[in-house]
Amino acid sequence: MSGEGTVREIGHDEFDPKGTLALISVYFAILVIMWIFMYFVEFLGNELTVIG
Amino acid sequence: MHIHNYEKIWLVLAMLLIVAIITTITYGATAAGISMVADDEETIDSTALGDDERFADPRVEQIDDNEYEVYVIARQFQFQPDPIEVPANSRVTFYVTSPDVLHGFHVEGTNANTMVIPGEVSKLTVEPNEPGEYGIVCNEYCGAGHHDMEGMLIVHPEDEFELEDDSDE
Repeated sequence: MSGEGTVREIGHDEFDPKGTLALISVYFAILVIMWIFMYFVEFLGNELTVIG
Repeated sequence: MHIHNYEKIWLVLAMLLIVAIITTITYGATAAGISMVADDEETIDSTALGDDERFADPRVEQIDDNEYEVYVIARQFQFQPDPIEVPANSRVTFYVTSPDVLHGFHVEGTNANTMVIPGEVSKLTVEPNEPGEYGIVCNEYCGAGHHDMEGMLIVHPEDEFELEDDSDE
């Protein structure tokens, strides 16, 4: 994008995609919350449940 | 191999998620007592249900203080008996079979759901706590009248329930 002067090389560990980390954390949290809701509220709370 | 810190975090979280999901299912099967409809009932002759002690007369039967057994025939295109009447706060076991084709037995809006296979007896036990009327639907396509195949499960308040004697004796 800009001139050659701004090229910067960084090592493997210096590259920290914080935005991606945040986004995936949000996805993960949604996944966990939806799982808890689906199983414990929607499924277990859905009387009559087969118990035998 | 060098793994970035973020990748390590992700690997650990993914593993935890798998463990958590398996733990939930285990919890359901043990502590919460959720069970699957098994196929451990004896097979029967689907062409001679009239000779079967349970299904000759589809009915609700009281087997203990608070325990009921319901013998249900799902056939093209109805459930027998209809309605099925049981008291609340009891333990009800359904034995469902079919004389003709594959049917479904689903107490609508609940987890009580099974396939009904000719020659096999599907057994499922539930504990209805809330009085009310539940629709029963067939959820396996069973022929031209499939969409009309429905039944009714009526859960009466305990003190208003009286077992109807609808036998022919």
